[in-house]
Amino acid sequence: MTIAIGVDVGSLCTKTVILDGGNNILSYDIMRSGHYYKGAAEESINNALKTAGLRKEDVGYILGTGYGRGAISSADGQVTEITCHARGATRLFPRVHTVIDIGGQDSKVIGIGDNGRVTNFVMNDKCAAGTGRFLEVMASALSVDIGEMGDLFFASDKNVEVSSMCTVFAESEVISLFAQGHKKADIAAGIADSIARRVVGMVGQVGLKEEVIMSGGVAKNAGVAHAIGKRIGTKLLIADEPQIVGALGAAIIASERI
Amino acid sequence: MDVKYKVNRLQTTNEIRPLVDKHWADLRTAKERGEKVAWASGPTFIFAYAMGMKCHFMAGYSAYCGGIGAGEEVLKVAEMTGDLPETCSYHRLHMGMGEAVARGIDINPQAILPMPDLMVAGRLCPEMSHYAEGLNRRFDIRVLPIDLPSVYDLKDQPRLREFVYRQFKEVVIPTVEEVCGKPFDYDRMSEILTVLKKVATLRNQCWEFFKTKPACWTLWDYGVSIAPVFYLMGNPAGIAYYERLLEELQERKEKGIPAIAPDGEKYRLYWDGWLPWAFLGKFMRKFTPNGAICLCGRYPWEFFPHPELIDPEHPVETWADLYYGEGRLTYHFSPHGTVDLISELIEDYSIDGLVMFSSKTCRIMNLSQPGVIDVLDKKYGIPGVIVEGDMIDPAMISDAQIETRLEALYEMIDSRRR
Repeated sequence: MTIAIGVDVGSLCTKTVILDGGNNILSYDIMRSGHYYKGAAEESINNALKTAGLRKEDVGYILGTGYGRGAISSADGQVTEITCHARGATRLFPRVHTVIDIGGQDSKVIGIGDNGRVTNFVMNDKCAAGTGRFLEVMASALSVDIGEMGDLFFASDKNVEVSSMCTVFAESEVISLFAQGHKKADIAAGIADSIARRVVGMVGQVGLKEEVIMSGGVAKNAGVAHAIGKRIGTKLLIADEPQIVGALGAAIIASERI
Repeated sequence: MDVKYKVNRLQTTNEIRPLVDKHWADLRTAKERGEKVAWASGPTFIFAYAMGMKCHFMAGYSAYCGGIGAGEEVLKVAEMTGDLPETCSYHRLHMGMGEAVARGIDINPQAILPMPDLMVAGRLCPEMSHYAEGLNRRFDIRVLPIDLPSVYDLKDQPRLREFVYRQFKEVVIPTVEEVCGKPFDYDRMSEILTVLKKVATLRNQCWEFFKTKPACWTLWDYGVSIAPVFYLMGNPAGIAYYERLLEELQERKEKGIPAIAPDGEKYRLYWDGWLPWAFLGKFMRKFTPNGAICLCGRYPWEFFPHPELIDPEHPVETWADLYYGEGRLTYHFSPHGTVDLISELIEDYSIDGLVMFSSKTCRIMNLSQPGVIDVLDKKYGIPGVIVEGDMIDPAMISDAQIETRLEALYEMIDSRRR
């Protein structure tokens, strides 16, 4: 019963991480949350258990996090994604002091002290500009797959500014930039930089302290990660799977509760 | 096993609603009795009260509308008639009510007030100017503008005190005399201040029960008890109310009854910014299950925390001194004044964490909040979070966002305790 599970139910994706008694990752799962968070959480847990060759009876503690943390019926406890991201980040990169997490509808910057504890954090408010959902809408406006957007950034040779903070207005702005004859790659770079500008403000509020990790689905977009790194003047650390940092932190806390 | 926290409700606070309802009912029918009506913003309504005018105060009306659940519908009327949704919700609320009456739009009748004979416009923030401007432009209301600048450096206080005092003497008093057609009633102002002094003294004795561990009541209980030191100023019923409240709190302390069952609070919090008048219950339901209570705040401490300085024999002078003398009420809006006051509160009330309520439609208290958290974290080692919302506009409130921030605050407090 030393198996610990962390489940991060986000607005777009649900992530599960399973740890053994030595805090080694046995398996993880990422799936779309859909509209039924409770079902998504259980499905994701079952997927991860299956991958690890485990049964639910083998599990000592399940800890939920993320906006849908209250919907995980099999969870033994809940902790916010702020604390979980900090724990996950310091496990992956022990010298990290700043976490930039950009998820589906949420972006946050977390300051971490030398002792690994959260010292400060800021989150975006009700506006979803600069989040994964924003990128999805922009990809649609550019008529490219979201996975292609990061690569497009590096084909840019001209600065184009996307200034609107509102997702819907930014989409109109992109259409208008097309009408002005701007290249798709330049607009993609402009979009990445608009996210970076927004994040830089949040980093400033928390106070930049190296090392800096970027987590969340948007960290997979190399263009955005590059633009943020350039704006804050440091190279961002990115995990092999940046989407599971919160779930990993949840699993670590779960293991401490067994 | 998880502790199930539950509010131990005070009995005395049930007595405030009839007092408040009577105030607004009297105001609604004032014109029928031939009485003059004033509206007011900033700490200026005492001059209208002294003249026997029925008076409504901007934030007080907003709190009342929040309490009777009329805020949203009145705000919608304002938007429908041309107000931008991002502007001050207090401003929108008043414009919405005025427009609803003028255009015959159906709203909660309890929210309808007579339009004033005079707007006593104390200007603590730019929105207050626009509020008066809106009343003047849209409803042709006479406006009496009064500038109430913030004090950034205490050495400027005497000069600013003179500036404000002269406005009271040379502009405010002559104007209310002209509107009411009679000389200013200094005796009545002295009577009001005598009652205020007694009420605020009793209230301060009640504040002592925030200091006990566990605390005997919460800031939210004080929030619903604020009218006697606010727009019920001068009403002797306020003295009786606070006497009973004090008695109940003393009894609670003797019997060991905490503000929240079973054994009192786990987290003692400071609340910054306006009180969320329409969402007091909503926030209470986010604090209580986690064992958290708010005990003090910058805005609720604006209501005459030093009654010993009130000198009813020199009514106009003492009113200026409360804000620009030893009372320092305007200094608490300045960067240093804010930190000084919150520091005092943290020490006096043994605070574990800071909730900085950042109103989306009134930024007067929000501008310095991130910096204040930083300074106080360094000074006292306690964490703080910014919680976005609004005083009355539900469109500006997001449950999930608020919950995550508050729960993260509790986790940070726990982490520092370990």
